[in-house]
Amino acid sequence: MSDVDTRHDEAGADEPPERTPHRVRRALLVIAPFWGLGSFFAAWELYVRLADVRPLTLPLPSSILRHIIENPGFYWEHGLVTVQEAFWGFWLAFFAAVLVATAMAHSRFVERATLPVIVLTQSTPVAVLVPVFVLWFGFSPWPKILTAALFAWIPFVANALTGLRSIDEDTHELLRSVNASRWEVYWRLRVPQSLPYLFSAARICIGLALVGAVIGEFFNSSEGLGNTARVAQSRLLVDQLWGSVFVLAFIGVVFVLVLIAVERRVLRWHSSQDLI
Amino acid sequence: MTNRTNGAPVAESTKGIRFDAVSKWFRRKDQAVHALSRVSLDIAEGEFVSLIGPSGCGKSTLLRLTGGLLLPDRGTISVRGEAPAEARRLKHYSFIPQQPALLPWRTVRQNVSMLGQLNRRAGVAGISAEAQLELLEHIGLGAFVDSLPKELSGGMQQRVSIARAFALGAPLMLMDEPFSALDEITRADMRYLLLDLWGQAGCTVVFVTHSIPEAVVLSDRVVVLGARPGRIIEVIDVDIPRPRHEDVEDSDAYHEVVARVRAALKEGSAPR
Ligand SMILES: Nc1ncnc2c1ncn2[C@@H]1O[C@H](COP(=O)(O)OP(=O)(O)OP(=O)(O)O)[C@@H](O)[C@H]1O
Ligand SMILES: [Mg+2]
Repeated sequence: MSDVDTRHDEAGADEPPERTPHRVRRALLVIAPFWGLGSFFAAWELYVRLADVRPLTLPLPSSILRHIIENPGFYWEHGLVTVQEAFWGFWLAFFAAVLVATAMAHSRFVERATLPVIVLTQSTPVAVLVPVFVLWFGFSPWPKILTAALFAWIPFVANALTGLRSIDEDTHELLRSVNASRWEVYWRLRVPQSLPYLFSAARICIGLALVGAVIGEFFNSSEGLGNTARVAQSRLLVDQLWGSVFVLAFIGVVFVLVLIAVERRVLRWHSSQDLI
Repeated sequence: MTNRTNGAPVAESTKGIRFDAVSKWFRRKDQAVHALSRVSLDIAEGEFVSLIGPSGCGKSTLLRLTGGLLLPDRGTISVRGEAPAEARRLKHYSFIPQQPALLPWRTVRQNVSMLGQLNRRAGVAGISAEAQLELLEHIGLGAFVDSLPKELSGGMQQRVSIARAFALGAPLMLMDEPFSALDEITRADMRYLLLDLWGQAGCTVVFVTHSIPEAVVLSDRVVVLGARPGRIIEVIDVDIPRPRHEDVEDSDAYHEVVARVRAALKEGSAPR
């Protein structure tokens, strides 16, 4: 009887495999980034302790962390300022880029007229414009927001243009065969098609907008993490200097993670999301 | 023959498609490619016509002219009594391109419904959402209506593309080598699926292909084109009764028409 059962089992057991055969491997993959970060800081800590490096050259990561934990209000307040500047700069750059790229994608003339200006902004080290912004807007958030926007602008406009342009010809012809308007082609085809390009630009631009905001604060500011770092440098407050760096890095990471989460939902259809 | 000057409007009573001495050139730098030369052809309403010919003979060009996506340089085209561009405005066309051309961010169901949504805004309704689901069910995609295109095989994607075209319920269907990217077996199945759907819809079809068997099995008439310049060599009637099933490919009538098409193709490629 048991003989027959086994054979029946073999014949009938053509079912999908269990979903969790690699539980351990998957857990390891989740842990890996934390393990990597932990090792990095452990190595740093060990090196500073063993080689007896002067704190002024390189402080202990543990003492930097302690400084942050002991002054949460300080870092929160200044971090919030920088985040706001970077945030508005980021969206300003995004909307300006999409607007310009839309005009360029629809008209050869606009494209040829605009391209030299874009190349100009691309090849100018835009940081030299910060004093100009300060001259214009003085002691307000605007010089910082504009600098952040200027830094984020180039990847956004380049990728938006590529994305809006690179539509599938067959699909375009299909839409034209039912007499779809330019507007319909734009919303139904060009915009969705450009999302993967915009997301990959956004990943870079989060970092760039933060850099822009901080550089703006170096030049003229009484607040923000760029300011706390500059003040710390002039007064040799090593822990505060490095604390500002750590908090900035943390902010960047958090925003990129949020972006990745959004991207994974929005771009479920795209092949870039298959391997994750 | 009345002496029509180029571009003059033609009074038409026909519900089908009429090509009258249509010529088309493409200019590349200083050189002009003569893509089509004096093509004249009448296609009746509800007829299934295949265009067959060597690569570069202007089949796709003729199809684009029919759909109003290109304008002829000489001659006139009338579609249900209108110029092609006007027919397009009236949403008379369904188009099946060579690639499935599905929108990867839309599910199967959303892909099938999209063109209909665009048409509905212009006041032209296609088949209802339930009928669309039934159609997908009928062509064997019932279990995949909420799948994304990337989760389907190539043959399944092309079936979605066909369903999308029939969902419009348009009176004219233009197909540019819709099965050329498929393997031989899937391709053979697809012919009969297409015949089945066409039998129910009753639209006029212009079907571009490279495959003689495909053209003969599907069509009422096969238009054989020659290259350089693109022109009509011969229009061959296919006298095989409908409905047609796989067994027509074993019949004598089928083999006879295949032989005639092959001979016409050879004639067209012979140096003049
Ligand atoms: N947009 C274009 N610009 C310039 N020349 C073109 C254009 N479209 C087609 N041609 C030329 O017109 C001729 C006919 O092209 P067409 O695409 O209609 O051929 P076809 O019969 O569809 O070929 P295939 O079977 O390879 O698809 C070719 O010589 C081609 O090079
Ligand atoms: Mg072609």
